[in-house]
Amino acid sequence: MGSFAIQTQELTKHYGTTTAVNGLTVSVEAGSIFGLLGPNGSGKSTTVRMLCGLLPPSAGTATVNGMDIVGQRRAVRWWIGYMAQAFAMYGDLTAWENIEFYGRAYGLSSREVRLRASQMVERTGISRYLQTRTHKLSGGWQRRLALVCAVLHDPPVVFLDEPTAGIDPATRRDLWDLFVEMAQTGKTFFVTTHSLDEAERCSRLGYLDRGTLVAWGSPQEVRRAAVGLQPGRRWFAIATPDLIGVCGAAAGLSFVHRATIAGGAVRVTASDECTCSRLAEGLAGRVALADIVETEASLEDLFAETRP
Amino acid sequence: MTRRPPASPLHGLGAVLYKEVRHLVREPTTLAMVIILPLMQLVIYGYAINLHVQHVPTVYYSESGEPLSQHDIQSLEASGDFRIVGRVTSRAALMHALVANTAQIGFVVPQGYATDMTLGIPVRVPVYIDGSDLNVAQLAHFGASQVALALEHRYGAVRTPPALTVDPIILFNPGLRTPVFLLPALIGLVIQNIGIVLVTLSIIGERERGTLEQVLVTPIGAPALLLGKLIPYAVVVFGDLLGVLALMRYLFGVPIAGNVGLLLFLGAGFLVTSLGLGLLISTYARSQHQAAIIAAFFLLTSFLLSGVFFDINLMPPIMQAVSHLLPLTYFIQVLRGIVNRGAGLADLWLPAAATFGLAAFVLAWATLRFARLTAKGCA
Repeated sequence: MGSFAIQTQELTKHYGTTTAVNGLTVSVEAGSIFGLLGPNGSGKSTTVRMLCGLLPPSAGTATVNGMDIVGQRRAVRWWIGYMAQAFAMYGDLTAWENIEFYGRAYGLSSREVRLRASQMVERTGISRYLQTRTHKLSGGWQRRLALVCAVLHDPPVVFLDEPTAGIDPATRRDLWDLFVEMAQTGKTFFVTTHSLDEAERCSRLGYLDRGTLVAWGSPQEVRRAAVGLQPGRRWFAIATPDLIGVCGAAAGLSFVHRATIAGGAVRVTASDECTCSRLAEGLAGRVALADIVETEASLEDLFAETRP
Repeated sequence: MTRRPPASPLHGLGAVLYKEVRHLVREPTTLAMVIILPLMQLVIYGYAINLHVQHVPTVYYSESGEPLSQHDIQSLEASGDFRIVGRVTSRAALMHALVANTAQIGFVVPQGYATDMTLGIPVRVPVYIDGSDLNVAQLAHFGASQVALALEHRYGAVRTPPALTVDPIILFNPGLRTPVFLLPALIGLVIQNIGIVLVTLSIIGERERGTLEQVLVTPIGAPALLLGKLIPYAVVVFGDLLGVLALMRYLFGVPIAGNVGLLLFLGAGFLVTSLGLGLLISTYARSQHQAAIIAAFFLLTSFLLSGVFFDINLMPPIMQAVSHLLPLTYFIQVLRGIVNRGAGLADLWLPAAATFGLAAFVLAWATLRFARLTAKGCA
């Protein structure tokens, strides 16, 4: 079976009569970045919280780094790093004091903390803020600090729950560069995200919809599988300087399900009777036929079609 | 339509009212607490608090060795002010009963008093009064003459000048000063309050900020987490205890009659209880809101029912039972015993044992609840 850092088997979580996660079965290879996608309320955070031992599952089993998340809950904690969805460092402590605390929590001596932190601190660029109280740091620096604290003890498996939510694109890219670098050193990342361009950087993806894994595999495989879940759809991209006008006009066409602006173009999800020329016709001369191309569905297109 | 900025300072009142009402109805538990607790409190405290001092536990020492007759005792108890709880066999034992707080009044029946009174020879009865309880002391001071009167009636010796005179001797607080009575109890109260508030806010704050969850993912176990949180607070609150004791001694001039080391030792036990109570409240409250309501209810109940101001012996039996569940009740007994009466561990073994017993109980209960909540992912 190769080396799987995380394996779940029919992992399920009920809250009263609501099923937050329904029979999740996935295997995540060591040294890979696994992205768990899905709309709000689809069960991503619940999954991460179960895998980190914060929530007991209602049914099913899972292992992290070969250890059972229920029976070896405490042992699992030695081998994982966790970055919560919201910033959860101590705001009244300085960045360095937070690093020192989390290092000691994992049994590192002050010397070891200094040694291990130095590289991460340098790499993330947070060194100039080490003596700043963390509530004064911007969101991006808070995230970098949370990441340093999560990986300080060199865990083989790292869980990141929406690590870039509310972060500017440049910081987001920086953080992802870090995740990819660390994955190349053999760490396994389990990341939940809404951001589909981030999902494209994952080695494997799982797509959760209302607690159920509806697709999983490489980003391409997930895209293809998700297309299969939405038969009778075609996707188009329209290049135009008048993004708002064209998007509004396209949304008004009877065969168009959805029109959005993404990546400097208007993206259209339409029924299968739609063609480039019908779109051009419908847009009544606003756009030249040459500026309309039929594309593969992006994850963004597919994501928007699912409803929580 | 042009929209103008609102001129009225009350602009937006409707929106804020709407929002606040929604907040209130959104949390039915909190709303129920807000409505029911004041009603409960009024009923409980209304029944519990009685300012009319009665049935003050009283012992006597008969120099002749002969006990008072049933009839004598009935005469003494007729007013309802005193309750004879026993006879002691020496003056030292009488003093000891007062120090140990088994009685708050003790009087000496002089040898041959009945004969002397019959013969018209003046008899003096020393009445020792626990001055550390101002309510009792004031009653006893003025009411001690009733002892004389009762005995005079008994022997038909009512005359002017009276054949029997009482010598009230106020012990422990001869000046009947309020700080002597109140400060030891207030020390217990403030130490309890600060302990509860510190821990409750700290734990609920961590839970609401998400830092508790982040810590629970680390290998730090629940007991280590709790101890690590409580020990620094315990040190701070112990510092508070030293501070308030020093203020009592040097600012208010209330001397500590007993052993300071014993007081600090038992105080350490009590502060563990108060920190444990804070922890316990934080495991039951779902928000700072609820925690504040629960803590306020508990603190007011402690204030009124644990004997800070109001005599527990005057409360209805059910309220007495409640007061005996409150850790502060026992610590106030310890404080008044050591500070005012110079009591030792032998005199205070019961409140001392209760202080440590409750500390262990509260801490164990809170730790188990906390560990259970963290295991269920509810912390």
